[in-house]
Amino acid sequence: MRFYVDAWDPAYGASFEAAGGGGPAAPSSAQVDADVELPATDWRAIGARPDVVAPDVVLLVDGVRRIDASVWTAEDDGGSYPGIAASYAAGVVRCDLDRGAAELAGSKVGRGLFTASPSAQDVVAGSIRYPVHRVGGTGELSKLPAAVQAPLTALEVAVSDAVRTDGDLLVVDGPLRSRRNLPRTLGYIKTQHSQYLDARLTTVVTGLAPGQRCPVFRLGTAWGGYSWYLRLPVAGGAPWAGIVRMECSAELTETEAIELADLSLVTLPRFASSPYKDPRAPQNLIPIAGLERRLRGLLGDARLLHRVLIGAARAGRR
Amino acid sequence: MTDDLIDGPGDGVGRVLGTADATPLTFWTAVSPGSYLQLDDVVVTRRELPDREPVTIAGVVTQVRARHEGAQFDSDVFAIADGTLPAQVQEAAEVTTTRVDPEFYVPPTPGAVVHRAEGDARARALHFDRMERRIPMGMGRDGVPVYLNADFLDGTRGAHVSISGISGVATKTSFATFLLYSVFRSGVLGGDAVNAKALIFNVKGEDLLFLDHPNARLDDATRAGYAKLGLAAGAFPDVRVHAPPRVGDSSGTPDVSSRLTGVDSFYWTLSEFCADRLLPYVFADADDERQQYTMVVHSVAAHLARYAQPADGGVSIDGVRLGSYADLVDHIVEQLNDDETRGDWAGSAVGLGTVNAFARRLIGSKKDLGRLIRGDLATRRPHSINTSESAQVTVVDLHNLPDRAQRFVVGVTLKSEFERKEKAGTAKPLLFVVLDELNKYAPREGSSPIKEVLLDIAERGRSLGVILVGAQQTASEVERRIVTNSAIRVVGRLDPAEASRPEYGFLPPAQRQRALLAKPGTMFVNQPDIPVPLCLEFPFPAWATRVSEAGRAPSETLRSITQAADPFAVVGSGTADDDIPF
Repeated sequence: MRFYVDAWDPAYGASFEAAGGGGPAAPSSAQVDADVELPATDWRAIGARPDVVAPDVVLLVDGVRRIDASVWTAEDDGGSYPGIAASYAAGVVRCDLDRGAAELAGSKVGRGLFTASPSAQDVVAGSIRYPVHRVGGTGELSKLPAAVQAPLTALEVAVSDAVRTDGDLLVVDGPLRSRRNLPRTLGYIKTQHSQYLDARLTTVVTGLAPGQRCPVFRLGTAWGGYSWYLRLPVAGGAPWAGIVRMECSAELTETEAIELADLSLVTLPRFASSPYKDPRAPQNLIPIAGLERRLRGLLGDARLLHRVLIGAARAGRR
Repeated sequence: MTDDLIDGPGDGVGRVLGTADATPLTFWTAVSPGSYLQLDDVVVTRRELPDREPVTIAGVVTQVRARHEGAQFDSDVFAIADGTLPAQVQEAAEVTTTRVDPEFYVPPTPGAVVHRAEGDARARALHFDRMERRIPMGMGRDGVPVYLNADFLDGTRGAHVSISGISGVATKTSFATFLLYSVFRSGVLGGDAVNAKALIFNVKGEDLLFLDHPNARLDDATRAGYAKLGLAAGAFPDVRVHAPPRVGDSSGTPDVSSRLTGVDSFYWTLSEFCADRLLPYVFADADDERQQYTMVVHSVAAHLARYAQPADGGVSIDGVRLGSYADLVDHIVEQLNDDETRGDWAGSAVGLGTVNAFARRLIGSKKDLGRLIRGDLATRRPHSINTSESAQVTVVDLHNLPDRAQRFVVGVTLKSEFERKEKAGTAKPLLFVVLDELNKYAPREGSSPIKEVLLDIAERGRSLGVILVGAQQTASEVERRIVTNSAIRVVGRLDPAEASRPEYGFLPPAQRQRALLAKPGTMFVNQPDIPVPLCLEFPFPAWATRVSEAGRAPSETLRSITQAADPFAVVGSGTADDDIPF
């Protein structure tokens, strides 16, 4: 296969890290059933229930991805497709709060060459292999980063499945999406892009005190499910500061969903990070931040991989 | 480091890490989970080379560290201990290379498995396999014997031992005596050990007067420790103790308080003092040498040697019989004060002020030396310190003596022993000289007759079979030529300010730090063979180090002083009718 590595550092091409933690910008068209826990007219902030105790073991799953290089393929007909060589890793932290030990319970690293080129083949450079993930459609460069998400999610599911035990709680970084079948699993959404609630209910959310949540509501979207907002311990008084949205599977009963919501309220605040240590505090949880650091380490050195890819490209053209 | 990297082939304790530079002489090892390395552990690793046999790199752990990987802030430790932040505790050990075999100086490859060296591998790593004769010195931190290359002790390739450390905690004298015990009893020196002699100066307390008494506090664990070193735990079998005569005692009984039997007194007769020109040793202070009167000292010594006639214990000069050191001093001062005789005694070109300075100091020495230089005791009575005719170990007790007298005894004894060895002309039998407070006798600044003798021993003693085992609190204050001539350097607990001096440059930084907290019995020994000083613990002395520890006295010492003397020497002389041998 013939391809070229873009000389530009991929970081300048497309950053797909979530943008900063403002409030939700666009109102969502999704249907919301706000009467799950409390009638919509009776919405108010809910505090932690004293009889609920945090589980001993909390598992937190996250994945990181990095574009090692942007490439251009050289097709036989003289055409060219863009592609990205990406590394991604998923891992799970097992926080044993009873024992006071957080450890990396499992991690997996994957790499791939994402392109729409029909002629693309695996890139092999020494011990490093970028298998081809063929992308459908025209394969514009701007669409390619999103294609990494699917194998990354699959990797996250694989690592989290391996370490589940009874009585634990699994917190997934990001929406649950295809993972809603996992038991005792919460989706943890730290960036609010859409406004699901109407203005009156939103004031309940923005009026939450740290350590409080709003009542559980149900989303009618394709990936719908039970959801609620909670505010993590935060110093500032901005309306959306420290607010995260939690998700759980739509297949649970309403009672089970409310139990999970109560459980989240006693579990998550202690994981909140402090602002001077984490630019995304408090939403970026301490274990997640630690996990991401470890996973980034596992991805390998970006400059080294970039160099390896350039070497492989040169060898492929010969 | 991921788990699968550690679970590679081999059952090592870790792997060479790649986040710090690995060099042929020092490298860092990441310690595998569930393993540990401590300071002084001996490890070995291999480096495969494409076109030749693999290189084995062995070394000693000189530093260990542990840290949280994945923590960014100091306060992260609380989150980690709380169980919210994932982190890994990673230990790493710095290894200082002791041996590269074959000598091909390549760095170990990061990722290479590091093994704990045991048995033969440990002996190879510490060069013990190349030592033809190994003297056990003590146990390493791992509880396995550590050896000294005898070649560097007995003068074959080097000689002399320099021991430094704070007094009281560093156990310098104990180590010196243990080393002697090991030399004499390990059988490493073969036949030489039987004839080898040791001369020990006891400067503090009566610590060394009980070398021939078994230690009553010796327990089975210590005995086992000795056995592990290949030694039998016991006292020195053949010891002779010399002590100065008691002050004001006309019969010359030895001045010791705790040891009552088996002690001989030592002194010099006036005729020996004059004939052997011992006067310069009265002025053995480095301070004295800077003064003008050195000329006078030598001139008076020469005059005494020429004109003093032995006369029944004392001497007679110019027809005057002198029966004591005080008489001699008075006579000399009188002669110097007399304008007519001053020229004969002091030489003609000496000013009166210089003569008076000499006289003043000579008078000052009367009190200190009066009991050592005698005219009232029988000449034939054995009174001199002579290691060749003495027991294997000769202890000279100085602790009761004032400073000037200590210098006199050390200076004269060393001089006569060295001259005797010089005349013999052969290195065998060996003579070990143990001298504490070397900084007093051979200070860095100035010069004195004792320092000259010690320098002679340090520089020529190796070929003459005189081995200096010097101890001092501060090696930085001892004459540099003596320290540099010592093949074996030993350090116990050091003073912090002292440890930073260049004299201890042989200690790597970590060991230099450790020397500040070394506990009694722990020594760092540097020998030319091994590039890293070895940390060792030597066993508790099997002989008594104070009267409370002393077990039953050996039968030989129960004999009286006169019995200890050779009876035939007295009878055969026929003159000492006042000295009946029983």
